Amino acid sequence: MANAMLHQSVGSLQLLGNSGIHGEVGNNSVRLFPKGFKVQIGFSKGGTYSSGERKCSIRASASQTSVVNPVLSPSNNDTHESRKKSNEAALILIRHGESLWNEKNLFTGCVDVPLTKKGVEEAIEAGKRISNIPVDMIYTSALIRAQMTAMLAMTQHRRKKVPIIMHNESEQAMAWSQIYSEDTLKQSIPVIAAWQLNERMYGELQGLNKQETADRFGKEKVHEWRRSYDIPPPNGESLEMCAQRAVAYFKENIEPQLLAGKNVMIAAHGNSLRSIIMYLDKLTSQEVISLELSTGIPMLYIFKEGKFIRRGSPVAPTEAGVYAYTRRLAQYRQKLDEMMSN
Amino acid sequence: MATAMFQQCRGTIQLNSCDDEWGSCKKFRNYSLRFISRGFAVDVRLPTKGSFISSRSKLHLVHALSSHSSLVDPVSSISDGANDHQKNISESALILIRHGESLWNEMNLFTGSVDVSLTKKGVEEAIEAGKRISNIPVDIIYTSSLIRAKMTAMLAMIQHRHKKVPIIRHTESDQAKEWTRVFSEETERQSIPVITAWQLNERMYGELQGLHKQETIDRYGKEKVHEWRRSYDIPPPKGESLEMCSQRAVSYFREQIEPQLQSGKHVMVAAHGNCLRSIIMYLDKLTSLEVTTLELSTGVPLLYMYKEGKFIRRGSMVGPTEAGVYAYTESLALYRQHLDEMFQ
Repeated sequence: MANAMLHQSVGSLQLLGNSGIHGEVGNNSVRLFPKGFKVQIGFSKGGTYSSGERKCSIRASASQTSVVNPVLSPSNNDTHESRKKSNEAALILIRHGESLWNEKNLFTGCVDVPLTKKGVEEAIEAGKRISNIPVDMIYTSALIRAQMTAMLAMTQHRRKKVPIIMHNESEQAMAWSQIYSEDTLKQSIPVIAAWQLNERMYGELQGLNKQETADRFGKEKVHEWRRSYDIPPPNGESLEMCAQRAVAYFKENIEPQLLAGKNVMIAAHGNSLRSIIMYLDKLTSQEVISLELSTGIPMLYIFKEGKFIRRGSPVAPTEAGVYAYTRRLAQYRQKLDEMMSN
Repeated sequence: MATAMFQQCRGTIQLNSCDDEWGSCKKFRNYSLRFISRGFAVDVRLPTKGSFISSRSKLHLVHALSSHSSLVDPVSSISDGANDHQKNISESALILIRHGESLWNEMNLFTGSVDVSLTKKGVEEAIEAGKRISNIPVDIIYTSSLIRAKMTAMLAMIQHRHKKVPIIRHTESDQAKEWTRVFSEETERQSIPVITAWQLNERMYGELQGLHKQETIDRYGKEKVHEWRRSYDIPPPKGESLEMCSQRAVSYFREQIEPQLQSGKHVMVAAHGNCLRSIIMYLDKLTSLEVTTLELSTGVPLLYMYKEGKFIRRGSMVGPTEAGVYAYTESLALYRQHLDEMFQ
């Protein structure tokens, strides 16, 4: 079964073969000029993943989809039950940029090390790329480099809503962070910090440099820990263990938000994000080991009707390219343009 | 009793007159001096014994001695951390930084303890602050538990010349402690622990949190709002008075931070307007009236030297392009020299 997505406005035609491996089978550029032009692509077969056949076909229809009025203004949240199923929600994944230990070539893991100047710039760049994509909720790990990445990125966002970090570590923390204005609440984006989104815990390797580790444990062992799926370093986590807690958190806490139509951003780390992508894209353990996530470059997924559709990396504002990934996102951007010109 | 400090290199002589009994220290005179040779060290001692009971206010002259003071070799004390035998005579630096503009500052909303982050401007202020302290030793950092203070500290430290790595300490659970362990001695030595404490949070503003200044006046009346904002001991509904904020911030300072300074550690505190004022009230022995009128610039670090149990205010540190005090004390000058050598 093949998925084909026609992107609107200036877009590219991407044909993906689907049998557990998402490769680009063909990539053709298509230029569509009018903004209002919309194309609906449907699956050529019923939605099962068990078929071993590979087929590519596109069906283009000019009818409107049953997409919700995409311009979700902050004051009228969608409460209609009937909208839930056809809701489309954006999911942004951002891997933080360079940390001070990356720069020194030390194994970091869960040690709470902040960003370098470069890491700060990467976060700001990432923010520019997502400045037109709606964000209703933010999830980060408990580590400062991910939280700073999220906060710095959001300073670039055009919508100007205010991210507010939720505190529930104690009764007092909750009471102390209470907000007493409805209007202010509506202009806020809750930020939830979760250790389950932390980087993979590297045990006794944390703080060691590559040479030290090779000396202490032997080069082969180290290679095994770094590149295997299920062999943990001493007192540490394997990628499998990291995946287990990150994906469980995602399914229990984040997916319901997407189901309810909330647009979500996750700012986290290489291994926790790979694990989530493994779940979103249904990768095998072999595939996930070789998956590399660029730092500071956001990944966009559209969650629709229970499925995650990968949309790649949103382009930087100066790059010509896809204008908007879906009609709903195009309208959101249009609304931002109007807001800014008033 | 007056204190006067000679600072090395290009410096200023500041003559203070202190009223006793928790009075204020007023600057009587401020003279600019230019010392060209770096090696010249001057030690100044108090001309009278340290009693605070006398009610006389007197301006004393300065004794200048050309002998080296009994300051610790600053370079080794800085790189080693605590040297026990030097406890009584070492001098440690205390930097206070108030974070810059937050997103709600920009929107004119009462923030209090709501965890709101910095604006672009606030980020720049933090980086600027970092440039000003890039030559002052830092061994340990304290911040509040709010992101705007933590980010300010982290952004400031990116500018620091010594290139040590701040590492946030996690104690919220056993797992957190276990998961953030560092397994290399060498790496630990190159680390600066960062401790987050809710006791350093901004004053909790209760039912005013999130309200716009106009909204609040409409809801409660202009006078009441003015009272809450400017009084010492009247809290807004469900909130803290400045006194209450002071109480928890200063006791945290005395219990946790002061012992670090006593053991010769150089400390940086990145926090908020009200909790820093409260701490300054304690350091400078201000009255409650004085503290309510004390304004702290955002993003401009304040330096204190802790020596022999006393806090000596050294003012705001100049930006690297401004001519001015080159170093506040001999030990700081030597530290800077050490950094210069490191980077040649």
